[in-house]
Amino acid sequence: MTARRRLHIGLSVKQAAFGYAILFPTLAVLAVFRFVPMLQAFVISFTKYDLIHPPQFVGFANFVDLVRDPLFLNSMRVSLTYVVFSVLPVWPLSLALAVLFNRSLLVKNLLRSAVFMPVVMPAVVMAVVWTFMYHQDGVINTVLGWAGVDPVPWLRSSSTALWAVILIGIWRATPYYMVIFLAGLQAIPAQYYEAAEIDGAGRWTSFWYITLPLLRPTTLLVMVMTVIVAMKVFAVPLIMTGGGPADSTRVLPLFIYQTAFEFFDMGRAAAMSMFLFAAVIFFTVAQIRIFTRGED
Amino acid sequence: MGSAGALATTPRTRKRNAGFALWTTRGRGGIVAHGLVLAAVLISLLPYYWMVSSSLKTIPNMFVVPIQWIPDPVNWRSYFLAWNAQDFGRYFLNSFVIAVGITLGNLLLASLAGYSLAKFRYFGRGILFILILSTMMLPLEVTMVPLFLIIKRLDWVNSYQGLIVPFVVDGFGVFLMRQYILAIPKDLIDSARIDGASEFRIYWQIILPLCRPALVALAVFTFREAWDMYIWPLIIISKDSLRTVPLAISLFMSSYGTAWDQLMAIATLGTIPMILLFFFLQRAFIQGVAATGLKE
Repeated sequence: MTARRRLHIGLSVKQAAFGYAILFPTLAVLAVFRFVPMLQAFVISFTKYDLIHPPQFVGFANFVDLVRDPLFLNSMRVSLTYVVFSVLPVWPLSLALAVLFNRSLLVKNLLRSAVFMPVVMPAVVMAVVWTFMYHQDGVINTVLGWAGVDPVPWLRSSSTALWAVILIGIWRATPYYMVIFLAGLQAIPAQYYEAAEIDGAGRWTSFWYITLPLLRPTTLLVMVMTVIVAMKVFAVPLIMTGGGPADSTRVLPLFIYQTAFEFFDMGRAAAMSMFLFAAVIFFTVAQIRIFTRGED
Repeated sequence: MGSAGALATTPRTRKRNAGFALWTTRGRGGIVAHGLVLAAVLISLLPYYWMVSSSLKTIPNMFVVPIQWIPDPVNWRSYFLAWNAQDFGRYFLNSFVIAVGITLGNLLLASLAGYSLAKFRYFGRGILFILILSTMMLPLEVTMVPLFLIIKRLDWVNSYQGLIVPFVVDGFGVFLMRQYILAIPKDLIDSARIDGASEFRIYWQIILPLCRPALVALAVFTFREAWDMYIWPLIIISKDSLRTVPLAISLFMSSYGTAWDQLMAIATLGTIPMILLFFFLQRAFIQGVAATGLKE
């Protein structure tokens, strides 16, 4: 081996060591506060543990109990309803807003900032303010009254409370994903549209055959992100309804929290969180599969 | 910009626009487009308006028929009453310390890890990167039970470090910094090495300054998330003096539920830091959100 080559190897070992060294703090934090808890959650889900007595191994008992527990099944159903109905409207709405803002408008920047404001409001503030707006004699019923709608008992009725919570989810998420769609739209070269226009394509044709196909990666990402974020909803239902009335807004994360930190049933809560984790993985993989079909 | 295509008017399109510009969503004057955007603006801002205007109303005027759109008389006292009802100065300080701590940690650790993953070659780099990315799919709701047990064992319940340390770095920040640093030419680093600069000096004096836009966006994004954090402080903070602003607002609502003027006043105050952040660092704020839509 020549001296020159030995020097080169020596240098790259030194550099690799530096590379490891600066990655290490991140790995350590993530290992202790993400990966270890994930494994522990798995282990705890097979135990009975109330924080006072030592954990007791119970096999699959928590899981067997859960699938027979009407409250848990209700919670799964509430979460599923929340995810489906808070997410589906966000896709077309945020894309439509992005398309509107991707053209010339008067005072565009000002309007865009205004539309973005729901993202700026802290989640807890949002929950408090909307609770007030949903009041029987509040501003929402007043505005609806102009259209001849009778006052709705939003958060007081088990048939409307979940929809009230869903509406806030849509309000909050739409501008967020508008920004992501807007970034995707601006990455599409303008020449495509010019060429289409020369060929006599109208606005809808261009949208359908240029914008949508080229936006596919962004759309997939938005779909996955919206679903995952919706599955984690917690602060808004906890503050606005505490899960009521009649369990109608007790989404899964809220039920996990209450099982663990109000009823101190850690094993059961960990078992529930396994269901949540499985759902996150399932939705993510399913959406990627559906969307990439026919591309390979 | 996609609108460039619309501006390059051929005689044919100009003629077509002349008659219909006001009625189609094309050109500067599209009434439909402006109308839709304006509706979105109203919906986005109504909760803000209602929060601020209600904070200035007197209690008897809170639910009058017809509804009071402009507070009359203006009731500034709600702000003083709310601020003095609890130790809000302390709560703002807590939130501030925690958000700054988490933000600084993310800037340092994510830029180090991102630099390592982008520019150094060593065994296991690909796997480590995927492991770090996978934490983005792991919701806190899944791991909160064991994470709480870890914090309890470390004796970090009711402490700043319990709120800060688990979140000083996350997959998103590392991913963002790595993507940004990938675009920095390797020659720049190599020539610094030839000039005898130490590895750490290269990171500190060459890489970091070049990452400024990404760092600012990450800082704003992380600060917002940290200021918004609710579920975690709810779990590990029971001591009065360590309450964060979101925790304090939600507790204020459950203990002074009918003092809507004070509640809206405190909600307004809790939103102001986010509004300032958005107002002064709007570009970075939006870039951070758009970056969550980055793909490999």
